[in-house]
Amino acid sequence: MIAELYRPGTSLLHRWDPRAKLLLLPMVLAAFFVPSDPWPLLALAAAVVALVIVELGPSQLVPPLKTLWPILALILVLTPPFHRTGPAVLGPAGLALVTADGLRFTAVLLLRFLGITLGFFAIVRTVSLDDMVLGLRWFRLPYSACLVVTITLRTIPTLAATWRNVTDAHRLRRDVSTGRPRLVQTYVPVLTSVLIESVKAIPLLAMALESRGFGRRNARTSYAGLKQGTSLLPDVLALAGAVLVLFWPLLLVR
Amino acid sequence: MVEEKLTISPAFRIASIAILAAVTTVLTRIVQVPLPARGYINLGDVAIVFTAITLGPFSGALAGGLGTALADLLSGPYAFWAPISLVVHGLQGLLVGLIAGVKPNNVLLQCLGGLVGIAVMAGGYLAAGIFLEGTGPALTEVPGNLIQGAAGVLLGILVAAAVLRAYPPVRQWRW
Repeated sequence: MIAELYRPGTSLLHRWDPRAKLLLLPMVLAAFFVPSDPWPLLALAAAVVALVIVELGPSQLVPPLKTLWPILALILVLTPPFHRTGPAVLGPAGLALVTADGLRFTAVLLLRFLGITLGFFAIVRTVSLDDMVLGLRWFRLPYSACLVVTITLRTIPTLAATWRNVTDAHRLRRDVSTGRPRLVQTYVPVLTSVLIESVKAIPLLAMALESRGFGRRNARTSYAGLKQGTSLLPDVLALAGAVLVLFWPLLLVR
Repeated sequence: MVEEKLTISPAFRIASIAILAAVTTVLTRIVQVPLPARGYINLGDVAIVFTAITLGPFSGALAGGLGTALADLLSGPYAFWAPISLVVHGLQGLLVGLIAGVKPNNVLLQCLGGLVGIAVMAGGYLAAGIFLEGTGPALTEVPGNLIQGAAGVLLGILVAAAVLRAYPPVRQWRW
């Protein structure tokens, strides 16, 4: 079992080829940095919100917004004082607290942050990490790098369980009547136990990898592969459409 | 003992990076240490400092970068910070390992490496934050990053010494 963000589903976004979605990640990032005007950004962010609502369901907007609202509030409150150019909009006795440029830049930052976060969330929510690694392998990421990521993902739940077990064991040894746990006294014994347990697994894992042929020069075989349909054409067309949607503000600039 | 006869083979390197990246992810995502004032810090930096001191700069860079990037990727809303964490914490692990490795077991050098690592980590996140969130919100994150980094260095150095004493074969695993 892997603790991942992916939720299975049958939406179009779920069925879209993982390689296309991997290509889309840097494009989403780039697209939100192209416009310097809030209006195209508003349209892009609205498109991303609509995508999340239609493809994943309205309830899926709640978890990211719940996490994001403090940052969005900070951007809203703290950005205008750092951008004081342009005509004053708000300020007592001629002192410009909020300017038109400040408001415009605040809107740009808010929409950019929201759009990028939700865009990444929608993609990561619909690609399993196994498919993501297989997609990266297709893009020629070295086998050893993909192997490291795969082993790491498989090891995380085991280590999390080890952490909980060791913490519980140490809690039994600690005097809980002293109140708040102290950083060094509480965590050093637990961390030491967990790390010794972890590093002891390294030679065992290395031996297991060698016994399964890792390090040999002959070509490797693999049972795992990306689930591919009969044609990649719909996925490529969808990617082209997504690129057009993401970068239409560039047409306005010209 | 079997471990003492091991050489640093490619499989051993893969295994050490994968296991310690998983440790970094677990300490970043699952472990939350309450602060005396308010809020929480995570212990991801402890794993980075520990890895860099015991297994060297390259393990520190790769395990630290990958572990924190996966933690971001698994978190959901912060998935887009993954590439930034990969670079920032990777650089942190590399620098801690390089400086601490000049004279192994020298606590002063480990502290110096840790301080440089904190500066790089906090500076890297500040630069990325200014770019993504604006100057004001990015500046508010600096104190939290500094506290988390300092706790990471303190605990990382203590834990590295404890593990090296309790399990000496680790001394030979540096690469």
